[in-house]
Amino acid sequence: MKNFNHPYHLVDYSPWPLTSAIGVLTLVSGMVKWFHNFNLNLTILGYLITLLSMYQWWRDICREGTLQGNHTILVTKGLRWGMILFITSEVFFFLSFFWAFFHSSLSPNIEVGTTWPPIGIMPFNPFQIPLLNTIILITSGITITWAHHAIMNNNFNQMKQGLLTTILLGFYFTILQGFEYIEAPFSIADSIYGSTFFMATGFHGLHVIIGSLFLLICYIRHINNHFSMNHHFGFEAAAWYWHFVDVVWLFLYISIYWWGN
Amino acid sequence: MASLCRQIVRGNTLRRVLFSSASSARRGYADQMMPDPLEHATGMERKELLAMEAGNDDPFNMKVLKKSAGTRENPTLVPSCFDARIVGCICEEHSTVVTWLWVHKDHPRRCECGHWYKLIEKELP
Ligand SMILES: [Zn+2]
Repeated sequence: MKNFNHPYHLVDYSPWPLTSAIGVLTLVSGMVKWFHNFNLNLTILGYLITLLSMYQWWRDICREGTLQGNHTILVTKGLRWGMILFITSEVFFFLSFFWAFFHSSLSPNIEVGTTWPPIGIMPFNPFQIPLLNTIILITSGITITWAHHAIMNNNFNQMKQGLLTTILLGFYFTILQGFEYIEAPFSIADSIYGSTFFMATGFHGLHVIIGSLFLLICYIRHINNHFSMNHHFGFEAAAWYWHFVDVVWLFLYISIYWWGN
Repeated sequence: MASLCRQIVRGNTLRRVLFSSASSARRGYADQMMPDPLEHATGMERKELLAMEAGNDDPFNMKVLKKSAGTRENPTLVPSCFDARIVGCICEEHSTVVTWLWVHKDHPRRCECGHWYKLIEKELP
């Protein structure tokens, strides 16, 4: 490290971009096989390679940031911008599903009876499980703020408790959505209603699962003393992501569950 | 024997994954502390924190240098940990272009506008 006089993080050579590429290629090929009613072997192999690559790549980033001290203030600014741009792209991802929903629901076609919800569709009562889910997610937004304030105040235990509460609320939400899907009187194949409903809520559910795992990783890192009161951007990124997922749910609830009912 | 070894290894790795700081896991619930920010930091992150604590808010010389008189006797000093550094001279306040020049070690250099620059050795952060 002679003459090292800059705040940038010049990364080491890493095999994980290559193994990730191989992993997702295998995964998508396996899924094509699966969709054509062949066996699941290639899909499972793809999952295995992808998950191993994800684990090792992010493990390396934790090491570089926490154990090697490569994340200077400038590098962290870059990470922040990266997360902001990523969430922005996610906003537009969900915008397209809302566009499809409003396109179809604001002027329902003759084929669905010029009415929304379409004739023959029995939507969910928005004041039952969907309302409970709204309350769960809003509460989790509060508990994650509790955790964030705890970490900024050097409070190890309350950070642990706040974060664990948030994770449990996240899994509770997922379980309730799972029950709701099992009980649903319509499927993704039941008219444009089912298509837009399951596309939007399904991708939201996937994002809740990803957000819960992101928070769970933060929990394990916190237990292992990876964070300090001014070194915890991984947690902040997870919190931003969680708030984003929360806000998407509010829009889903208001437009698809409540107004669309 | 092999299964015994496996059991031991598995038990230990699991414990290490979940509580790598075994002592903090075993200590009482109430006295757990967050790591001290400075103790927790290492590498460049720590050097940056130490520099800031010492009152240096620009440890990597990323900010624009304030020009000195710029005469031959009193040149603007350009810190570098290499043998040369590129300097962009804003020759006059309202200049719309930057004049770029190399400044080499032991060879003070004069910009077109008459301003002198001199390379000085910079301590590594
Ligand atoms: Zn000049």
